[in-house]
Amino acid sequence: MVKKVLAKSYVYLMLFLMYVPILVLVVFSFTDGESVGIWNGFTFDLYGRLFRNEEIMIAVGNTVIIALISSVCSTIIGTLGAIGVYYSKRRTRAIIENINQIPVVNAEIVLALSLTFMFVFIGTYIFHENIFSFWTLLFGHMILEVPFVYLNVKPKLQQMDPALYEAALDLGCSPRQALYKVTIPQIAPGVLSGFMLSITLSLDDFIVTAFTSGPGLLSGAGKIETISTFIQSSIKKKIVPIEVRALTTIIVALVLIATVLLVMYQNHLKFKASARILTQKQIVARRIKNSVIYGILAAIVIFFVVIICINL
Amino acid sequence: MDGGLHKLEKANYIIELKNVSRIFDDDTVAVDNFNFYVKKGEFVTFLGPSGCGKSTTLRMIAGFDFPSKGEILLNGKDISLLPPNKRPINMVFQKYALFPHLDVYENVAFGLRLKKIPVELKDDQGNLVYKINKKKIREIKHEINATKRNRHLTEQEKEEKLAKLNSNLEAVSSNPEVAYKYKKLSNKEIDEKVAKALKIVDLDALEERDISTLSGGQQQRVAIARAIVNEPEILLLDEPLGALDLKMRKDMQLELKDMHTRLGITFIYVTHDQEEALTMSDTIVVMKDGVIQQIGKPKDIYDEPKNAFVADFIGESNIYNATMLKDKHVRFLDFNFVCVDDFPVNEKVDVVIRPEDVEIVPVEKGMIKGYIHNKIFKGVNYQYTVMVGKNELIVKSTKDYQVNSQIGISIEPDSIHIMKKDFTMNIYTDAWINNKNEIMIDDLPFECDITQLIPGSTVDNDGYVVSKDGKHRYDFKDADVVAEVSIEKVEVIDDIEDERVQAVGEIVDQVYKGDHYRLIVRTENEEDFVLDTPYTYNYNDRVGIHIDKADIKMRLKKEAKEYEI
Repeated sequence: MVKKVLAKSYVYLMLFLMYVPILVLVVFSFTDGESVGIWNGFTFDLYGRLFRNEEIMIAVGNTVIIALISSVCSTIIGTLGAIGVYYSKRRTRAIIENINQIPVVNAEIVLALSLTFMFVFIGTYIFHENIFSFWTLLFGHMILEVPFVYLNVKPKLQQMDPALYEAALDLGCSPRQALYKVTIPQIAPGVLSGFMLSITLSLDDFIVTAFTSGPGLLSGAGKIETISTFIQSSIKKKIVPIEVRALTTIIVALVLIATVLLVMYQNHLKFKASARILTQKQIVARRIKNSVIYGILAAIVIFFVVIICINL
Repeated sequence: MDGGLHKLEKANYIIELKNVSRIFDDDTVAVDNFNFYVKKGEFVTFLGPSGCGKSTTLRMIAGFDFPSKGEILLNGKDISLLPPNKRPINMVFQKYALFPHLDVYENVAFGLRLKKIPVELKDDQGNLVYKINKKKIREIKHEINATKRNRHLTEQEKEEKLAKLNSNLEAVSSNPEVAYKYKKLSNKEIDEKVAKALKIVDLDALEERDISTLSGGQQQRVAIARAIVNEPEILLLDEPLGALDLKMRKDMQLELKDMHTRLGITFIYVTHDQEEALTMSDTIVVMKDGVIQQIGKPKDIYDEPKNAFVADFIGESNIYNATMLKDKHVRFLDFNFVCVDDFPVNEKVDVVIRPEDVEIVPVEKGMIKGYIHNKIFKGVNYQYTVMVGKNELIVKSTKDYQVNSQIGISIEPDSIHIMKKDFTMNIYTDAWINNKNEIMIDDLPFECDITQLIPGSTVDNDGYVVSKDGKHRYDFKDADVVAEVSIEKVEVIDDIEDERVQAVGEIVDQVYKGDHYRLIVRTENEEDFVLDTPYTYNYNDRVGIHIDKADIKMRLKKEAKEYEI
């Protein structure tokens, strides 16, 4: 009994320590003290100021655009790559798999530096101008993400019964149709998790962004700033804009919602696959549980939308 | 065969395999020179142990694998290199391969949704439109090219075929035909077809169920419905009942057989279960190591197996070494039996007797005597193991006899089936002599009597062979020889560490022959040693091989004087 309590409290302590910094940040997003860690009275003021701060909004916009475009591109490339490698000869497969491992375990700074050198080299000797721009940044992020997409899709391909593809051909599919109608639906969960991981990697990437970005996007003629590079450059000037506290709180809320939805979707899939027959009572209980969760998520969204709208 | 008759039969062949071989990248021969025909509407079964090439053959017919040599003809047209989606052939897979992301209905409708059917093209006034058929021209041109490259036809055949194709080409390109457009099936048509197919397999109530919620037997039925809904000309079934339990398997066997009669589609079935093959098929093809052993009706294969492998694989059997005597007499179990088969006198043969064909009679009336060693009740009858001298004889009888009682055995002449012996010698055609005057078989040294290459010769101190009169000396280092070792002279040694072991290999085959087993031991380099032993082994056991110096018979491939020094 004591053992059980100890084990449980240990887990909760660890979770508490992990979430305390986030909680502090969330709490301090509701005060407008200029100095860090000083409570200055409760206000929603920061949420309004956040959206009026053009610099931050540009950084946020850049981050989202880069994250979406690079994730879509790298998901397509990584998925097709995984399918191609899976159907190639054993020797080729072994070689590509090993090569793919290197960027995953490699230090990001090495990747960032080598990309910079390459872009400078290409810019100097081929284009005869500085080629740092949105495209180099996009390329850098894709290089970062593709191996992870590959790693997410590969196990789904391995789990798939190879006879499925053959069955599709047998029933009249051309190889391309078989890919769309059978292979891709089968590996969809892996593709989705690869996409999500890509977004995460891109959103909080600092090193590669700092080394490969150039002018473009919402920053116009200036160097493209994302959230991470913007905060870093602010810290250099010794003033972190206080609106960032509101921004991070919103990010935490969004991530929370996305995670919960993803978990619920996975549970739904698992439930469907297990093919359990439920009693009427159990079905009602399941529905109530789901509605409560959706309600809470909706409440969080409404809360933030309302306070933003009021203060804007 | 009479030419006219041949032609008549040929018209009925739906699929023909001509000299088809499949050799994989690592040089393993999966299918070796397969020649085989299937008539329209037939139920054909490929039967053989795992790894015999039966699935590879099926996959070549389906289009998932392509022959390394030879051609596959469907209704007389070469389809060897056609992709699977272009063939009017559907397959039921071993583990069903149903699409888990689709429900039962969509799984069955999968093929129909891809199908496009031709509809006559009409102009505004409702008249048929005539056009030159470009697709046919392409096809004929393709066939002309294929014929030019075909290595299996003689020059004359080629010319005849080309002339015919060229005249066809002219006819097609000068005569416009009714033009067609292609249209997908409507939802209503798909609905009807799916409902019909599901009804055939007794699943009409489950249309909307998820695949994962179905039992194995139900999934099996969906897989069959998914294939037959496309109305294929040939239905391929790759061990489809392997994953079902015994009772369900028996039911499905009968149902499949019934379905075959009702649908009239040609079935090609693959299995390693001999009972399944005997129950369901019109024709059975027995395969081993990529080679056809026998093709025939189930009853013919059971009653008249062509060799010991087929006899042993199909049903239970007593197999003995025997010697032919004159006037249709054969000697085995120390008795001269009358038989119906005619073989050359004194030829060594294999004899097969089915357990149910042996009659137990009172001792004084029997041709041979024995005692009952063992008795098992099998429901419909008893199975006795009778000891005749040192030999075992399996007998099935409905009568009850006591264990250890003396009995007589009587065998009718037409119950004795005589087969040509597979081989009596191990022959190694690529052996050679090394510098220690040992013979290298399978790149392993065996001691041998090198002097037998030159009659009456001796070996001198330097290791050279000296002829009888002492005038000629020979150096046989690196000489290529053919070695022969009689099956009885190969010794198997259980302990592979034993110092007498000369080669080590795995047991790949074992056939019981009354009082001994015939084993085939295969070494890592794929050399086979065939031998007889009284003891039973397991497949894949690793054993050692020993051959006595005196038992290796060899002859030179080249003239002896080429090695003279």
